Amino acid sequence: MFDAVSLSDAERSDAAPTLQRARGALDVVLRRRGADTVLAGLRQEGCLKARFPRGGAPGWRDVVVLNSSGGIAGGDRLTLHFRLQAGAQVCLAAQAAERFYRALPDSPPAHVATRIALDPGAAAEWLPQEAILFDGACLDRRLDVEMADDGWFLGVESLVFGRAAMGETVRHGSLRDMIRIRRGGRLLLHDAVRLAGDIAQALARPAIAAGARSVATIVYVAPDAEARLTDVRAALDGAEAGASAWDGMLLARMLAPESATLRRMVTAALAVLRGARSLPRVWRC
Amino acid sequence: MPRNRAGITTMTMPSGLDHASLLCLLAWLSPGFPTGAFACSHGLEWAVESGDIANETDLQTWLEDILAHGAGRTDAILLRHAHRAAHDPAALAALAELARAAAPARERRNETTDLGTAFAAAAAPWSPPPLPPAPPYPIALGALSGAHGIDEDATVAAAAQAFAANLISAAVRLVPLGQSAGLRVLAALEPAIRHVTDTTRAATPDDIGASAFRSDLAAMRHETQYTRLFRT
Repeated sequence: MFDAVSLSDAERSDAAPTLQRARGALDVVLRRRGADTVLAGLRQEGCLKARFPRGGAPGWRDVVVLNSSGGIAGGDRLTLHFRLQAGAQVCLAAQAAERFYRALPDSPPAHVATRIALDPGAAAEWLPQEAILFDGACLDRRLDVEMADDGWFLGVESLVFGRAAMGETVRHGSLRDMIRIRRGGRLLLHDAVRLAGDIAQALARPAIAAGARSVATIVYVAPDAEARLTDVRAALDGAEAGASAWDGMLLARMLAPESATLRRMVTAALAVLRGARSLPRVWRC
Repeated sequence: MPRNRAGITTMTMPSGLDHASLLCLLAWLSPGFPTGAFACSHGLEWAVESGDIANETDLQTWLEDILAHGAGRTDAILLRHAHRAAHDPAALAALAELARAAAPARERRNETTDLGTAFAAAAAPWSPPPLPPAPPYPIALGALSGAHGIDEDATVAAAAQAFAANLISAAVRLVPLGQSAGLRVLAALEPAIRHVTDTTRAATPDDIGASAFRSDLAAMRHETQYTRLFRT
């Protein structure tokens, strides 16, 4: 899987082989049992762990991912694989916002690859918290979702370029952040954010972000995706945001000057799509 | 300095375009080719409505961003791979699927498939190769150009310029701008068009990505724009 997302062979061979970088792998299988969703398999390696807090919505299982490496730097490799067997309903979240630190000059990018496979009738939510990029960060992140024709998926990815309150600016860096969704074996969405070089200057440009320093993407794939568009648009009314729906998919994108505003927009749109279910507890503290 | 696909600088020109190829590109990319591009604004109609594009300078900057960071770059990569796969229907079908999946909004998906479908029909006199149904525009154009053995770089540059020219024509009507202002923008975009041509040669389909977020938002918001002259 990594070969497909590596930036080039040259970059790989330039990597200092002696440098100790964080590794983490997580493999979680969940299955339906009666009205509940339960753990059917778990493998945890390196800096990644999964927790299964109680108190999710009825019929849903919350899974919280922990990265104990204290932040991600160039050369780190994290792989997360979630398999949802038929009828399982799972809300996947991350313990905290993830920090992406400056990569050393010769370092390859940090690789984070997440794969979510949904068997027929399964439903998954991918609700990590913000990815915060520091100046010099070099990140290649990929979310692959493979779902059955009748699957249900809601995901969000938020990117924050420097912490505005700390006066941080991302003057250089390199980012590829890809979401690919296959439904019934067909590619439904290839959404990839690419930014490189002087990212602050790029974000200042009018057709890019007009100075906004954070961007979020929400994707919702479900039979009622198009029917929810009006409500999602209403929730984002007045914000620097847009939403569209086609082919049983809803895509919303929002921009904000800093992460607190972005989170309010994301939360408003998620509330429309998730109904009465509250956000994972890790989002609220 | 031109580079070949291995990234080695060469002294040869990348495109010694023969007359037959030149005539094809001029025909296929002329504003008279009935692709309906005049009805598509790529979200520009909203950007004018919202005040993002109010003059010649705004238009140039907006189009530079789209060429380098938006659909200009994405379509260049798709066109190149369709050009190389002109005689491989399965590969063209996969590229068409990718092109549809890379659209960031409903109207942008419609724009590329409507233009491609109209292009494929209008190109009948030039005997296009077998194309997937409702082919996205860069797939149809790339495959036809590849089937005719027309230089790939020249096709990419000409297609990027035609794309820019269509959007300039929309803006000239919408802002409005004078005809000569539109032509000044077209001339000023030549470095951006050459840049997207030069920087997409080695790109793989996995390299498709964009950051023209506000252009995407404009396409999304155009869907609910109250008064509109354009389909997209």
